Amino acid sequence: MSSFFFFFFLISCLFIFVCRTLARQGACVSRPQYTVLFRHAAPMGTTAKEEMNKFWAKNAKLNRPMSPHLTIYKWSVPMMMSITHRGTGVGLSGAISAFALAALVLPGNYPYYLDLIHSLYIGPYLIGLAKFGIAFPVSYHTYNGIRHLWWDIGKGFKIPEVYRTGYTVIALSVITSIAVAFL
Amino acid sequence: MAAIVRLSSVCRRGVKPLFYQSTFLARPLAVPHTYKEHPYQLTAKIHASQALCGSGSKAASLHWTAERVLSILLLAMGPVAYFNPGPFMDYSLAAALTLHGHWGIGQVLTDYVHGDAKIKMANAGLFLLSTVTFAGLCYFNYNDVGICKAVAMLWSK
Repeated sequence: MSSFFFFFFLISCLFIFVCRTLARQGACVSRPQYTVLFRHAAPMGTTAKEEMNKFWAKNAKLNRPMSPHLTIYKWSVPMMMSITHRGTGVGLSGAISAFALAALVLPGNYPYYLDLIHSLYIGPYLIGLAKFGIAFPVSYHTYNGIRHLWWDIGKGFKIPEVYRTGYTVIALSVITSIAVAFL
Repeated sequence: MAAIVRLSSVCRRGVKPLFYQSTFLARPLAVPHTYKEHPYQLTAKIHASQALCGSGSKAASLHWTAERVLSILLLAMGPVAYFNPGPFMDYSLAAALTLHGHWGIGQVLTDYVHGDAKIKMANAGLFLLSTVTFAGLCYFNYNDVGICKAVAMLWSK
């Protein structure tokens, strides 16, 4: 009885070896045949991307409703910090693009427009607020960016560490923005 | 190629389940303790999936690394621009900011835009935007006060 199993095991090892050899030569095998004799290997099977597209196309075609996600899942600090990182990134990028576009399109030069803004008599508090409004996205995105790089080298993934570094980023961002706004 | 089918696993679970073993699918494994001693076996499994299905392009991986390198570069540019403002920093900042933004928005588009045609259009639009942004910043650096001076002026009031 045990010798039969041993023989069976040898054959299956041989078969798997044959499969892997053929696979290494570029043939895609998605599922082994349930016989000892392996018939032939041909490139087959769909890629993950194709499967995903089929899934989405089927859902769209059948007009399936999407399960609630953002509206029901409990928001956490890491979640909020992540989307804020994305939001500040997109916002800053948009602001830079808008500035570049304005430089190309608008007549006059930068000092002219700066004086124009100052002639509006905005007052120190609003100027301070505006400075904070510019400084906060920059500093938050920068500090959280450093946190991201920290993760990229594989550190700080434990949940308490995630929260600790997160709160540090928030605190540093606020302090830096206030300090810079006073400059 | 490291042995995928280990004798110990056969002995533990019998021979029949050998056919169900996902040696051909690169599923993420829960790493048993023994793998920590032989990390290359896990790596071999990941490489196997690329060998299985043809092309093994390193483009995505290199792009990821380039994004991080650029981020670190941009981080360093901040203090340098503060202490050494000038045209060199102006143009370097223009290039680094535009590219960092381009790649960043590219990731956002990859996350939220689905469908081959829409992805192509969105990326084309982004490319156009980034080109205009870089052109505008260079124009500003050349014909106007430049980025470093502009920030200094904005903050002096």
